[in-house]
Amino acid sequence: MRDLYQRLGIDRQAGTDDIRQAIDACDHNALKTDASTVLEVPSRREEYDRLHATLTDIGCLRARLGLTHGPYWRDSVANDFSLPPDTSRPLHEVLLSRIGEAVMLHNRWRRYRGPWLIGGIFVLGFLMGAALCHWWL
Amino acid sequence: MPLARFSSFELLLLKSRHQTDTASLLLMAWVLASRGHITAPDRQRFAELAHDFRHGHDLDPLIEIAASHDLAAIQLAAEVLHKDASGERAYPFLRQVTALAASDGPLTAANYHILCFLADLLGVPPNEFSGLFEATTGQPFKAPDDPSCTAYWQAKERQQEQHHQRESENRRDSSSRQQHQHDHHRQDQRSQQQQRHHHQRQHEKRSNTHQSPPPNDRTRRALAVLGLEPGASRSEIRKAYRRLAQVHHPDRVFARGDAITASASQRFQRIKKAYDYLMEAS
Repeated sequence: MRDLYQRLGIDRQAGTDDIRQAIDACDHNALKTDASTVLEVPSRREEYDRLHATLTDIGCLRARLGLTHGPYWRDSVANDFSLPPDTSRPLHEVLLSRIGEAVMLHNRWRRYRGPWLIGGIFVLGFLMGAALCHWWL
Repeated sequence: MPLARFSSFELLLLKSRHQTDTASLLLMAWVLASRGHITAPDRQRFAELAHDFRHGHDLDPLIEIAASHDLAAIQLAAEVLHKDASGERAYPFLRQVTALAASDGPLTAANYHILCFLADLLGVPPNEFSGLFEATTGQPFKAPDDPSCTAYWQAKERQQEQHHQRESENRRDSSSRQQHQHDHHRQDQRSQQQQRHHHQRQHEKRSNTHQSPPPNDRTRRALAVLGLEPGASRSEIRKAYRRLAQVHHPDRVFARGDAITASASQRFQRIKKAYDYLMEAS
């Protein structure tokens, strides 16, 4: 499927006036006819948008998972939804590193809890003593 | 490291009895959600399918995540599945997803693309996957029509129109059949009745031919010739006519031979007639 918004150079949320202007300004006759057939009738545009959203999602996922040139997407020359590969870290790796971090924090707390508790009680006692001396004597 | 909270799907994945199964279930829910809305029978089917999976928790959170089109969750599920279930181990999952996608009438375009994505993700080549699809559903795995083309909408709307016509005809048929049965009860005046019935039918037919093009049928056809919707305004009609007349004018193709000029002139005549009629009618 062609991405009519991308080909007309407009945003997906563009209003009807913007769309009409873009269609009038377009030089490509076939694209002009198709775009006005699809985008100027609200019911058709709604259905087109739904499929468009799904394909955009799939394009995004393919870019992130390194599937931009899989055999399923090779034959369609006009695949408007292919994006350049995204080299950010895989989410599963991110999840594992975050779990590792959480486990480390937990263990550190377990290990140092005793001394911290003793120190806390000592400081509390000292403060209470100081307060007693100050107010009552 | 940013101290972001764990998302709901990450928590589900951590609590799950089997991460791959939870990821598969989320992708199945995504297939259902991409049809538009998840109906009650869909939920039931999904729950039945989930018996075979070692998920061990409620399914509603998964359906909610899929219905909100949470791309990060879907990406995470796809990564888990890619890691644990690619190659030969993918076939049972793909079979289940295919059955789910084709369970409710013909395959939608969105589901077609999602199935392609899943098969690609799990490393199943196109020819093998189309074989699997055929074996599971008994229908060929073919690409859906392209909704970014004018032809798709014309074909679709024509089909709907035919469907409506057929329905109304069926209704008319059944009512006339009832009339017929009613007539059969009176056997004493059968011949007279038959004659009358015959007359009546003829009358019906005549009135039908008189009625069959509804008042605006010609207008609609004329508008279709100009590539317009019913209810187009005069200025739109004029604009469409001018555009089409420029394209189809026989003088444009005069140099390319008689046959082409003749066909262009025919097309031009049709456009001109439609335009003249519309200008008179409106």
